[in-house]
Amino acid sequence: MTLALSGQHIAAVDTLQDAAARQAFDSDPALMVRARGISKTFTLHTQGGVEIPALHQVDLDLRQGECVVLVGPSGAGKSTLLRCLYGNYLASGGAIHVRNPAADATDVAAATAAQPCIAFTGASPHSVVALRRHLLGYVSQFLHVIPRVSTLTIVAEPLLLRGVEAAEAEMRAGDLLARLNVPRRLWTLPPATFSGGEQQRVNIARGLIADHPVLLLDEPTASLDAENRAVVAELITQARKRGAAIAGIFHDEDTRAQVATRRLELQPVLRAVA
Amino acid sequence: MLNPLLQVRNLSKRYGSRIGCEDVSFDLYPGEVLCVVGESGSGKSTLLSTLALRLQADTGTLHYTSTEGDSIDLLSLSEPRRRLLMRTEWGFVEQNPRDGLRAGVSAGANIGEPLMAVGARHYGQIRATATQWMSRVELDTSRIDDLPASFSGGMQQRLQIARNLVTGPRLVFMDEPTAGLDVSVQARLLDLLRTLTSQLQLSALVVTHDIGVARLLAHRLMVMQHGRVVEAGLTDQVLDDPQHPYTQLLVSSVLPV
Repeated sequence: MTLALSGQHIAAVDTLQDAAARQAFDSDPALMVRARGISKTFTLHTQGGVEIPALHQVDLDLRQGECVVLVGPSGAGKSTLLRCLYGNYLASGGAIHVRNPAADATDVAAATAAQPCIAFTGASPHSVVALRRHLLGYVSQFLHVIPRVSTLTIVAEPLLLRGVEAAEAEMRAGDLLARLNVPRRLWTLPPATFSGGEQQRVNIARGLIADHPVLLLDEPTASLDAENRAVVAELITQARKRGAAIAGIFHDEDTRAQVATRRLELQPVLRAVA
Repeated sequence: MLNPLLQVRNLSKRYGSRIGCEDVSFDLYPGEVLCVVGESGSGKSTLLSTLALRLQADTGTLHYTSTEGDSIDLLSLSEPRRRLLMRTEWGFVEQNPRDGLRAGVSAGANIGEPLMAVGARHYGQIRATATQWMSRVELDTSRIDDLPASFSGGMQQRLQIARNLVTGPRLVFMDEPTAGLDVSVQARLLDLLRTLTSQLQLSALVVTHDIGVARLLAHRLMVMQHGRVVEAGLTDQVLDDPQHPYTQLLVSSVLPV
């Protein structure tokens, strides 16, 4: 295929990647996320334009029923990779494709309804919002505390966004909070004054409640004691057995051993390139 | 609905030779909150006023999808039709609540008037609806017959929001809705706006210079500088991974609490 201008060249490459992705998703019904050649470099304009490479050419497939644990030293880009998969960071290079949730979602564009997968990199903000609602769940390290909203409402929110009735959503939220040992007396309170571990458990509850087909977990057990780490590991394993495709970062080796079906090793970019 | 509610293409508004806003393009979907942030003079208020048809655009196109699904060309809308749209489907929350309320009538009347403007006639029902809305925006319902001037600034702002939302609009424009309010009042108001926009499936275009407000309220963010949109995307992405030098400057300038 002749490639005349650089703009056309980029478009042609995208089409090739899209075609390869479609084939991969068609031939493998369990494939949920396909990331190829993911690179991320931060350019700090306020610091004179210094460039910080965080990821270099990372490939990752996420399939139903597996839990991929990202391992590597601090600064290797583990968190960065998860954030790129969630659309919280923009990948500098590479392509991410995700399974088309059109079967369950009514707000995904009709034009893509027949496609097995959707190009995530370069997707419109509107599409990413829809994909986060129906496909991608994310548990970050920190709870973004919204003033004045009760814990129960925070945890119920992903279900409310999916159209679940308020009463049922709150009941399921309560069940999950109870499972995570968050005392009932805290449910009506906003989590701003909770301990780190309590906030983290609220975060986890909110991340897991809607049974997203893909789960991205960034240190979900970091602030937890052994007992609660075990509860979270159990919840993750249950999600995986239900068919979720999970990628996670866990610093605690016991939890890793409990939840991982395989590991992906990342190295800091300078070391890898050098 | 899968079509955008509002489609903006290459919208520009100049003041003589000075740029107000230049070459702005975006789509807004039902149920989406879009914040426009930028410093003083960035063009964000000009953009909002142009989108709300208060200012005449110089170039570009602006299309709105009606409840029946038709695409309406807003820039060629007749004055009567424009006023009908503003009464029935749109709202505009002013930065200063006194600009958005009628000082001479009671709180209840301020909420009831828009209902009457769209045809409500039963006084008892209008008063009941006004009471419900006062309660929804956390105003003391026993004060339904008090004049707006007897309320605090934060209460007036909540009254203005009730006045705008009572007719069930699909699109609400907000110009710095929390500027000038105490932080505790601001928190309550943002919480209220978050809840209402989500419950009512409202689309909202919110202009603010406060990034914290954007983080809390908006799904999407547009950053303006010197009349142009320099960066746009998901709120969490623009704030956590800013690409443009100006956005990086804005984000790094926010004082931590």
